[in-house]
Amino acid sequence: MCDAQLKLVAWLDGEVPTDEAAAIEAHLRECETCQARIVAYKNASEGFNLCCDALFITKAKAKTLRWVPAIPVAAAAVLILSFVVFSRRLAAPPSLPEVSPVAVSTLSTVPTPVPVPSPALHKPVHRKPSRPPAPQSVQRWQPAERAVEIAIPAESIFAPGAMPEGMRIIGELRIGPDGSVRQVRFRQ
Amino acid sequence: MSDDSVPLALPLPRWLAGSLEVTALYRELRKPLLRYLVCLGLSGDEAQDIVQDAFLGLQRHLKTGGAEDNIRGWLFRVAHNLARNRQASYHRRFAEPLDAELEILAQQATPEQAVLEKEKFQRLLSAIRGLAGSERECLLLRAGGLRYREIADVLGMATSTVADTVERAVRKLAEKCNV
Repeated sequence: MCDAQLKLVAWLDGEVPTDEAAAIEAHLRECETCQARIVAYKNASEGFNLCCDALFITKAKAKTLRWVPAIPVAAAAVLILSFVVFSRRLAAPPSLPEVSPVAVSTLSTVPTPVPVPSPALHKPVHRKPSRPPAPQSVQRWQPAERAVEIAIPAESIFAPGAMPEGMRIIGELRIGPDGSVRQVRFRQ
Repeated sequence: MSDDSVPLALPLPRWLAGSLEVTALYRELRKPLLRYLVCLGLSGDEAQDIVQDAFLGLQRHLKTGGAEDNIRGWLFRVAHNLARNRQASYHRRFAEPLDAELEILAQQATPEQAVLEKEKFQRLLSAIRGLAGSERECLLLRAGGLRYREIADVLGMATSTVADTVERAVRKLAEKCNV
């Protein structure tokens, strides 16, 4: 085993003091074994670097693909929202009186149950006043009909191959009395 | 390995000089830092987060008059510690930092893979898998362009230990790959 062998990598990295480096270089001129080792160490170092690069590129690619579906869906949602809000604001003249929430809730398919007062057959029971129940239409809202339908071709939003062929994403919006969007739901 | 850690030539106000220096360093060191973190076993998103945090930390460090020598080592050390903290939080997930990644890599054809012959590439991956944790970390930091002194600073070792570890690791790779 050559004495200089132990410091060949450090010499390759320029981490050996000048006098020691000169001794190693002198040895290398004579020792073919160490010359071969130097080549092997260089190759090993380059191979390691290439592996790191390959891993880095592989992960970067994986990251890009993973986010591809999210961005177009978000872009489609923004487009649909802005179009619907804009079209509703154009349709409603500003001088009109404010539309009550009840009138607008006709979009809902599930009607809010109207409490029917029953005749007081028994002594009225005093109960702790409770909050009026939240309108169930908010939770169970289903669109009766499509007032506005916008079709956006997948190719214009998604990267080629990102969206399976024949797949549709339908966005349903509920518009409040002031023209703002109250509820958004996406389904296939 | 370059040792050009962006000393500024012009006498600028300290806050502006610091900002410009950080910007220049960001351009220079973002990719090596990301590569190091990804090879430690973090996902691309996590690596991005840590690099951002490290550079924000550097901005604060310079603004508060922190030491300006060996900024490269400082950044790698902060990124390394942030990555270690994250790995401690999600220990199970990163229990085998490089191994799982190398398995994925072995199955995928990349331009780099084309450079090395496939068989040699597989041997190299196997050899990397056989390295000790400290040996891998030293080689990763060395591949990021750090000097032995900087690697020692990041990993909290003596410089002579780093030299021995790198020497041993490279020799192992060379012997196992039979290159």
